[in-house]
Amino acid sequence: MLGIQRACRRHVFPILSRRNATLQTSAEGSSQIPPSLLSTTSSATVPPENARSSTDLPTKSDEPSESSSAPKPRSKAIVPRRRPNISLENPRKWNPPVKKGLLPAYDEAMKLIEHDSKTLKKEATELRKRLEALSGGASGENVQDREAEVESIRKKLSILDIQAYINLPSVRWKAANGMADMTKPVYRQLVEQKWRTRGDLDLLMERIHQMNVIPDLLPTFHPSLDLRITFPEPPPQSTYLRTRVKRRHTAVEPGSYLLPEQTRRAPRLYTSVFHTETRLYTLAMIDPDVPDPENSSFTTYLHWLAPNIPLSATSKSPLVLAPPLTYYVPPHPQKGSPYHRYCLFLLPQPDAAQSMKIPVIKDDARRGFNLRKFCENHGYDVSAGGGAHMWREVWNDTVSDIYTDTLKLPEPVFAYPPVQDRYGEVKKQSKYSK
Amino acid sequence: MRPPQSITAVLRTPSSSKSTSRIFTRNAGRKVVASDPQNEILRRSLYPSNIRNKETPTGTWRPDVMKALRRAIPSKQAHETIERAWLLHERHMRWKRNEEAERKFESMRRAMAELEKVDPILFKEANRVEDPRKRTPAEVELSKSLRGAPKKAMESRLPGLFPREMRLPTDTPPREGWVYNWRP
Repeated sequence: MLGIQRACRRHVFPILSRRNATLQTSAEGSSQIPPSLLSTTSSATVPPENARSSTDLPTKSDEPSESSSAPKPRSKAIVPRRRPNISLENPRKWNPPVKKGLLPAYDEAMKLIEHDSKTLKKEATELRKRLEALSGGASGENVQDREAEVESIRKKLSILDIQAYINLPSVRWKAANGMADMTKPVYRQLVEQKWRTRGDLDLLMERIHQMNVIPDLLPTFHPSLDLRITFPEPPPQSTYLRTRVKRRHTAVEPGSYLLPEQTRRAPRLYTSVFHTETRLYTLAMIDPDVPDPENSSFTTYLHWLAPNIPLSATSKSPLVLAPPLTYYVPPHPQKGSPYHRYCLFLLPQPDAAQSMKIPVIKDDARRGFNLRKFCENHGYDVSAGGGAHMWREVWNDTVSDIYTDTLKLPEPVFAYPPVQDRYGEVKKQSKYSK
Repeated sequence: MRPPQSITAVLRTPSSSKSTSRIFTRNAGRKVVASDPQNEILRRSLYPSNIRNKETPTGTWRPDVMKALRRAIPSKQAHETIERAWLLHERHMRWKRNEEAERKFESMRRAMAELEKVDPILFKEANRVEDPRKRTPAEVELSKSLRGAPKKAMESRLPGLFPREMRLPTDTPPREGWVYNWRP
């Protein structure tokens, strides 16, 4: 079919050539993994000769007998490469979906759209000239009228700038395929529209409300920017590959379960911001489900707090957080506790231009951190927008490692108090009388 | 909940995979012609057919729709472009019609304002809204003496409504020519 976008991307695995096992390769531990997936720093792995690409990988673990003789010419394996994902750095050209003349309705539609676009662009340039003329001369008498006219022209211009391009298929295609130039208002509009109406925001809000993050941590939250996070993918099933395969970062669906080993390091934060001016945001990551046995309840734990993050439509992704900040503590859901929710918030600071002095929260002050109080104390307006995300985790063996290595605390184990067996005594007695 | 998807969104997703489980089909297509279909109905409700080669009777599952859509619409992008162009065209037509109506209204309003200045009495007359059903006493007398079609014309064919007896416009004139002494 012409021009149908494939939803599923076929994963092209490189063709590997097997070779007969020899003593050397078996001793080195031959791997069938293509060189691109191997980490170059791991010295334990050496790919077999035939499967190697011409250029890279140091030959650290070559046998001494081999290195003494002249290096054998390594035959290139034909590894079909996959072109990099479409983005602004690797752009692709838009092609018309149907050949000219094949679909007359399409050709007529293109004529109409292009004519309309031209008309609107002309109108926009004329308005700009008028705006320049207005703002140039300043007569003291009708300043108010002048200002009103300037305002109305600006409003009209903002509409024209979008409408002149929004119907063009090339523009819509670029916005839908990761090549949106966020300096232009039409792309900002299209990306925001997609985020709001095509299901991503709805999914986030569904998860946030259904898992009660919103009444628990904050009274309300209405995101104004798209926050996406990536964590490394879960480890492979086979223990052999666990240390040999470089794990890619994958996007996290809000509300999904992650393994503690995936979240040992801080996530990469990607944002789509729709305002052109740079505003400052504060990042906070909270776990509201830490067991509090003293009160037979649950309390919160602050995992991460980073203030004064500058964000705008043109800021780079992923986010780079500058110190001073309360450093990232990996999630450690305790054994015996139900699943923990880990909630990320990007809160807009009350003064968008002014840096806030937020003290670094000490480790003992992380537990019992009240986000509502924190927002109140520092003047955050929670309903002013921002970004949010969340995921869930459950205890597994890795959490014990986190306690010993990272937190350096004894691992607590929780359980429900044992249910008293009312008939314990009765059961011990013999049922049948002599 | 994700919002309801449009036709173009439906095209984006690949068709669902069909299960390839073994189905015993010996009695699947058995058609028992009997005067009383009770047993047949019982059999079908207890053991519904699980051969998936056509859509369900009530249209709740239609496996052939995606294939048909893919043949009918060569490109989702082209469909979207054509749709947008058509809506844009309709918008322009709407704006043109509204502008024309506004221009006419404005011109009328200016004329009435002028009339008000010139002659207030005529202005008041021009502003009066006539009830089309009102009849003068003379007309009432006349209607009492009428019968049949002229009576109907007086009672139900009100001024302001669409003239029901209007001659249908045709490309060519009638063979009999124009009827000068037409009566309702």
